[in-house]
Amino acid sequence: MKKRLPKILLNFVCTLTYIFLLAPIIVILSSSLTKTEYIVFPPEGLTLRWYTELINHPEFMESLMLSVTVALGTALISMVIGTLASLAVVRHEFAAKALIVQLIGSPLLIPSVVFAVALLQFYSWIGMATSPFALIIGHVIISVPFVMRLVVASLVGFNQSIEQAAMNLGASNSRVFFQITLPVIKSGVIGGAIFAFITSFDDLTIALFIISTDVVTLPVRIFTYMQYQYDPIITSVSSVIIIITIVLMIFIERILGVGKMFASSGK
Amino acid sequence: MSSYLKLENIRKSFNKTEVVKDLSLEIKEGEIMSFLGPSGCGKSTTLNMIAGFLEVDRGKIEVAGESVHLLPPHKREMGMVFQNYALFPHMTVFDNVAYGLKIRKVKKQEIRKRVLEGLEMVRLAGYENRYPKELSGGQQQRVSLARALVIKPKLLLLDEPLSNLDAKLRQEMREEIVDIQKKVGITTIFVTHDQEEALAISDRIAVMYDGRIEQVDIPSAIYNNPKTDFVSEFIGEVNQVKGKVLEVYKDNKSKILFFGKELIIPSDSSQDTMLNFFIRPEKVQIVNFRNTEEDTGIEMKVDKKMFLGARTRYFLKVNGEQLIADISNTVLNPSQIQEESTVIVHLNPDDLLLRKGR
Repeated sequence: MKKRLPKILLNFVCTLTYIFLLAPIIVILSSSLTKTEYIVFPPEGLTLRWYTELINHPEFMESLMLSVTVALGTALISMVIGTLASLAVVRHEFAAKALIVQLIGSPLLIPSVVFAVALLQFYSWIGMATSPFALIIGHVIISVPFVMRLVVASLVGFNQSIEQAAMNLGASNSRVFFQITLPVIKSGVIGGAIFAFITSFDDLTIALFIISTDVVTLPVRIFTYMQYQYDPIITSVSSVIIIITIVLMIFIERILGVGKMFASSGK
Repeated sequence: MSSYLKLENIRKSFNKTEVVKDLSLEIKEGEIMSFLGPSGCGKSTTLNMIAGFLEVDRGKIEVAGESVHLLPPHKREMGMVFQNYALFPHMTVFDNVAYGLKIRKVKKQEIRKRVLEGLEMVRLAGYENRYPKELSGGQQQRVSLARALVIKPKLLLLDEPLSNLDAKLRQEMREEIVDIQKKVGITTIFVTHDQEEALAISDRIAVMYDGRIEQVDIPSAIYNNPKTDFVSEFIGEVNQVKGKVLEVYKDNKSKILFFGKELIIPSDSSQDTMLNFFIRPEKVQIVNFRNTEEDTGIEMKVDKKMFLGARTRYFLKVNGEQLIADISNTVLNPSQIQEESTVIVHLNPDDLLLRKGR
């Protein structure tokens, strides 16, 4: 009886964690099906009305497209910068290295609202107009530290003699990088890109500051919409995002097996 | 045969610490040469300079008459096998072995033929589609050997290739490496800190210490005629014993007092100096009784004995000095010698290695 107690406790904690994590998703998904004009849980009646209603709100779809574009741009740029920076940090010694590493990681420590104000100040100082590109730059700055965390982790366990082996067999430096180094740290790089995508897609604070009438990302759209209306269209938009995310995750898992790689950090 | 690989006065420093100090060496074609020495002696650094992973600070490296020390590693045409195998984890065994050939733009059919031949040679036919992590350490090292050899390199460089394997496998692998090396006839450098390994596989051994080569010679000469104190102590085991010069003769011979006995040895030291000698434990002979009255053996007490399988190690004592003797159990049954008993020890003057102080 005594030996079973830890197991019961473990199951209890696990169940609680799952409920805690899944409850919001379930609440959103189910309340998007309500027949009422307001958001309610549990839903009263079942209808897909709030999904068809989305067609009458093209601004949500536009914002979704913008968010995805900004997130993809962020993911791509952060992936390249983050990977190169990680290689430099792990493999080379240079002046003020510790300082530079801290500087790159600083967005993780600074409250995002402070960072957003600073960015806005900076943009108006250099006379840069608000644009999707301006937003991407902001998102890149906050997501590079995430990319670096993951890529550095996969580089630390990296056995550099396989690069020497490739050179020894006649591979030039660029060949070594693309055929040996990159494939081996791929899990960290892709994981970092996914983190960057999510960081960007999820961001409200910075987008709120960089906002103009033609640069409204989905989180900002939902946020501003909710200030004036509180109808279940919010939940149907959110449900669409959840579904897209789940499909994306399944796709990535099937194609790349990233989940497996995360667990073993690419070794 | 003339020299195939030539190292001329090469030097290397890291952060002002000189790791390789003015090292010169010539290796003949088809020869297997070991770099043997303790860690930090510069043997791996030297190998890495030959492979091109490190630049020489000074000096020249020539292979087959062409100097290569300014070429980047991927243009040196050398096959290297690493201590940790260094297989590409994301490629199958086939792709690993084929990698060097693909870079050389060899035709597909030819690649297939040579890879399969290579795997056959290291007894891994049928493993083409496995991934490195599905193989044992020994198998991975054989793949690595095949990968290095299929490109028909000018030199085969082995960087402690057996250190990560367990004892039994290590012996098997070293025989296999020698077999393959002789079959292919490739000039090979074998870096190791394991003297037994070096003695077993090398045509010649370069014993290295503190960035310099102490002695280059065939294994038996390294063992029996060490040129420096370091080589004496590093290769095999030695007893350190003292002897006092009693009398100096004209023909470079001296009479010395040694464990209370007089011995005539070749030496040019002056009278009354203390000489230090090395003697290997297996060169010490003991018997448990005097054969004749004229027997000149030294009486010593057996302090302790230790059974080591094929042989027994006896710790002998006389006048507070210790001497270790390793005797084969087929020559002397250890049950005949009791601890605390007295035995007769014979030393052949030829087996005494005079300590040179360098």
